[in-house]
Amino acid sequence: MTLIDVKKVSFAYGRRAVLKGLALSVRQNDFLAIVGPNGSGKTTLLNLLAGLLRPRSGRILVEGKPIQRYRRAELAAVMAMVRQSTMPTFGFTVRQTVLMARYMAGGKLFETQQDYEIVDRALEMTDTQRFAERPLTALSGGERQRVFIARALAQQTPVLLLDEPTSHLDLKHQIRIFELLKALRRDEGKTIIVVSHDINLIQHYAESYLLLAADGRTEYRDEETGLDAATIESFFEVSGVEGTLAGRRVFVPTGVGEKQSGQ
Amino acid sequence: MTLTAKKLWIRIGIAAALLVVVMAVCVAIGSVSVSLVGALRGPMRDGQPNMDYEIIVHYRLPRIVLAAIIGAALAAAGCVFQAILRNPLADPYILGISSGAGLGTLAAVLLGWSWTFLGMSAMMLTAFAGALVTTWLVWGIGRAAGRTNITGLLLAGVVVNAFFSSVIMFLTSIARADQVQTTMFWLMGSISELQRPDVIAASGLLAAAGIVVLLRLGPSLNLLSFGADEAAALGLSVSKTCLAAFAVAALITSLAVCLGGLVGFVGLIVPHAVRLVAGPDHRQLIPISALVGAAFVVLADTVARVVVAPAMLPVGVVTALVGGPFFLILLVRCTKNLHWGAK
Repeated sequence: MTLIDVKKVSFAYGRRAVLKGLALSVRQNDFLAIVGPNGSGKTTLLNLLAGLLRPRSGRILVEGKPIQRYRRAELAAVMAMVRQSTMPTFGFTVRQTVLMARYMAGGKLFETQQDYEIVDRALEMTDTQRFAERPLTALSGGERQRVFIARALAQQTPVLLLDEPTSHLDLKHQIRIFELLKALRRDEGKTIIVVSHDINLIQHYAESYLLLAADGRTEYRDEETGLDAATIESFFEVSGVEGTLAGRRVFVPTGVGEKQSGQ
Repeated sequence: MTLTAKKLWIRIGIAAALLVVVMAVCVAIGSVSVSLVGALRGPMRDGQPNMDYEIIVHYRLPRIVLAAIIGAALAAAGCVFQAILRNPLADPYILGISSGAGLGTLAAVLLGWSWTFLGMSAMMLTAFAGALVTTWLVWGIGRAAGRTNITGLLLAGVVVNAFFSSVIMFLTSIARADQVQTTMFWLMGSISELQRPDVIAASGLLAAAGIVVLLRLGPSLNLLSFGADEAAALGLSVSKTCLAAFAVAALITSLAVCLGGLVGFVGLIVPHAVRLVAGPDHRQLIPISALVGAAFVVLADTVARVVVAPAMLPVGVVTALVGGPFFLILLVRCTKNLHWGAK
């Protein structure tokens, strides 16, 4: 069943077009990776899917209903988003931050016992309960990133949008987060849409891929076709070698592709 | 660490008790010594008018209640402006309220208006009108500059403030010395001798209602501390919330300005002081700041009326003189609890 339907969506910042006529449909329980070089519109696409940006043209349907017809609180019950590093103006603790995921659920002034339990579970899943009482500002970038993942989990939405969730994480936590996403997809039927630069990690975990190029080309791949070296080289303007290690497909970039213009 | 309704009520109770004690002490202090116990005997004693009662009920109490209303409104509004503008330097006057009110006052003085309405002078009412019109103007310009752009709003406020301030300077430079004196005293903040109990009660109710509305917006303000996009992704309707918080905060600030002129520093330092001690959760920050702010202005006004008696200092001078060093001590001592924005 199609959960999110993107129909001929275009977007531009001022005169700079970022997405041109993009079409995409995300099945329920998909694990979609959005990959592409800087400035190709990956984050823009996530913001469009989350309803934080309005397309210049085209339509986005969520569960068959146009996204702009959702109220904010309704949309937040369908999808949670993990954005790249954000910092609050004031020193909220980790637990307070994660509890904020529950604010809009009931429209009440205080959280319920059930909210506390949901938050405890989210903290545990992201290995953040150790520093639950510390202020966000006293954490490292990677620890903070896990807190925001915990908050998205505590929102308990069927869809998770994640913008480079592992960019600041050490190796162990990179694997832990992707294993967690995989388990959430498998056990709770969540739909995962992730932007990542880690080609090898997503080749292992994702089920489908949307490639975006800096010049506006797009390509969709499912699990069978996967990402081959030629495609990666063409979209990222690099050259590299691919191979199989312990049954896993890997790609190692070795140089900058000849398609690179200018500099 | 997490806030529950019970914890909040206990803390509000403690802060309220503190406020009541401060008010009771300050009622007894003044250039004429009076007895609180004596005043409890009612307006007549042994067939004579009871002087204790007379002074306390007709002079000191109204003034102390006004000071409390002003302090509560300014401190609560300060919390809200700091949250919606995501700026720890924001105060209730940041969006042009001060210059708008100043211009209103000056207009009344220059026009020689001396009428009163419901016990309030023309100066108070024009200040109220000026403050409201200016914030509305700033909001309009800020919205035109960018729909969810906080910087646009902040810049609009700063520029409108600067522009109106120069208009004030121009008008003062062509005004007579005595007119300038009146305006200056008012601009430094001075709690008026408003003695209509019904008007005081109405002001108090309005301020209290505003503070309760802002308290209800507490969770939304917590979300807004993470920025508009984050708050929206968590389900908050950002522009509606900002408009509501902004309108209510501006209204109670204008009320405070109308009652006491520009009492500086309260709206800036009280929220920070409370945040340092009790944490940043707005559900707690707003009511506690309001109570602490009320106690602070009551104290400051008592100092202002006693220190150079029978003359009086502008209360704004006292709040800045006392509040500044106190805040710096707190800042240095509680640095460990201090986490504003980036490191």
